[in-house]
Amino acid sequence: MDDFFFSLVLAGISVGSVYALIAIGLNLTFWTTRTLNFGQGSLMMLCAMLVVFLASQGLAMALAVIGGLLVVAALGVFVERFTIRPALVASGGSMGWVVSTLGFGIVLQGVAAKYFGSQAMAFPDVLFTTQDYVTVLGQHLSLQYLVVLALSVSLILLLELFVRKTVWGQAVFAISLDPELALVQGMPVRLIILGSFVASSLLAGVAGILSAQIGGTVDPAFGFDLVLFGFVAAVLGGMGCSVGALVGGLAVGLISKLVGGYISTAAEHAIAFALLMAMLALRPQGLLGRPEVSKA
Amino acid sequence: MLEVQDLHVGYGAVQALQGVTLGAAAGGITAVLGANGAGKSSLLRAISGIAPVTQGRILLDGRDITALPAPARARLGLAHAMEGRRLFRQLTVEDNLRLAWSFGARGVPLAEAIAEVHQRFPILGQRARTPAGLLSGGQQQMLILSCATIRSPRYLLLDEPSLGLAPIIVQQIYAFITDYARRSGTTVLIAEQMATLALKVSDRGYVLRRGRVVLEGRSEELLAGGSEDKLAANYL
Ligand SMILES: Nc1ncnc2c1ncn2[C@@H]1O[C@H](COP(=O)(O)OP(=O)(O)OP(=O)(O)O)[C@@H](O)[C@H]1O
Ligand SMILES: [Mg+2]
Repeated sequence: MDDFFFSLVLAGISVGSVYALIAIGLNLTFWTTRTLNFGQGSLMMLCAMLVVFLASQGLAMALAVIGGLLVVAALGVFVERFTIRPALVASGGSMGWVVSTLGFGIVLQGVAAKYFGSQAMAFPDVLFTTQDYVTVLGQHLSLQYLVVLALSVSLILLLELFVRKTVWGQAVFAISLDPELALVQGMPVRLIILGSFVASSLLAGVAGILSAQIGGTVDPAFGFDLVLFGFVAAVLGGMGCSVGALVGGLAVGLISKLVGGYISTAAEHAIAFALLMAMLALRPQGLLGRPEVSKA
Repeated sequence: MLEVQDLHVGYGAVQALQGVTLGAAAGGITAVLGANGAGKSSLLRAISGIAPVTQGRILLDGRDITALPAPARARLGLAHAMEGRRLFRQLTVEDNLRLAWSFGARGVPLAEAIAEVHQRFPILGQRARTPAGLLSGGQQQMLILSCATIRSPRYLLLDEPSLGLAPIIVQQIYAFITDYARRSGTTVLIAEQMATLALKVSDRGYVLRRGRVVLEGRSEELLAGGSEDKLAANYL
């Protein structure tokens, strides 16, 4: 196998695992409220920028990361409280959250541009440098890509374990199936919804840091493409299905890297969305999405 | 004691309940009867905290719970088997029971509680790993009742437990309800369209019509005073 192809594949699945992380963040709030935080991309950007900023102020890298994640988690609370809850309380199902979460993202992007400037900032090398590699079977494997892949896959597995094996995880799933029944059975639905937004924002933060690490830079518009690909991964895999999100993410990552490498980077978006459209025409429930379980 | 005082429930322009006052005596079975659209489900849902109350009060053991959110009421010991075969259909029988138990009073350890369910309804033991949505109607109703009782509730609200079931299953379900009520001392409120069925097992009955109580009394008197036909002709 030639080196160029192989490096594209590794880059593809590594980037794809980050898309999967984003997709799962979107899934979480979709489960609990049937809404998506379209500001997710801005949260990724903000978290990465904060890490750069805090580190540049002399803070240890670990503390800078924790600081960035804390801010993003707090913004998750804000998003739930001020953009989602009002729409859910409104009877008849308001679609206001679409506008509010989008607006939130745009405002965040504006604020970041104002305070950090709209220039791309270099993201420090935390997980090795772009030059570090290991050699396996004669192939050079970028350590940075490997670590990013390992981190996001473990995070996804942990989350999946939580959802499947713990009562609280099952409660999240139960709320997605029948929120009213969950309420009547005494599940603290409101708290779980809030938790899902915090967790989703944290996932966005982690995804932001990992992407910035791979890409090397952050700028205020940085999250937009990422969340787009994360969204494609979520829908491709079957909205709400974690394994599907992982498969979808890897597929989107691979395809976009291969297209970028062999055809042109400009075609990445076009191909990703062509894929999405074809997929939806053939399997409306997504690759691994399950149809309803019910008896006639 | 569960008390409802001058309860009004409205969905926008539709008034489902217009001043209902009733009580369910502690440890007894109380029946709420009425035809389609009389407001039985609205009453039960208002007690659980999932229907919009516009006026009136709901008291549990003298405590006003009208303003409490639904999960808080559930934690006070309220269990509600809703109409419409409400289960987490994609979760297995076992997971449904486990979830219901986990957010209930946890009066008995989980394994013991599940063993009790399997003893009462062996079919639920055999189908423990089946998604609840794939059970037959009767099995679903058994699971719904088991999910409600596995929470060790102090108050049990049952919405038309007989609906859409074969007579033999209805008998089984009602035998379970009366037996459970007697054994546990739980206060039970049953909404039913099948008046005789519910009156036979209950101590007291209320008949609802268009959101109002039009008749109430001891169940045996309601059964004797008006024969079933008369009851039906007049009120259902
Ligand atoms: N969510 C709702 N929105 C609007 N109107 C409703 C709603 N739920 C119930 N209603 C109306 O309130 C009235 C009472 O309905 P409810 O379901 O309480 O009656 P019921 O006695 O349970 O009837 P059934 O025997 O058919 O279950 C009906 O006129 C019904 O159409
Ligand atoms: Mg009803």
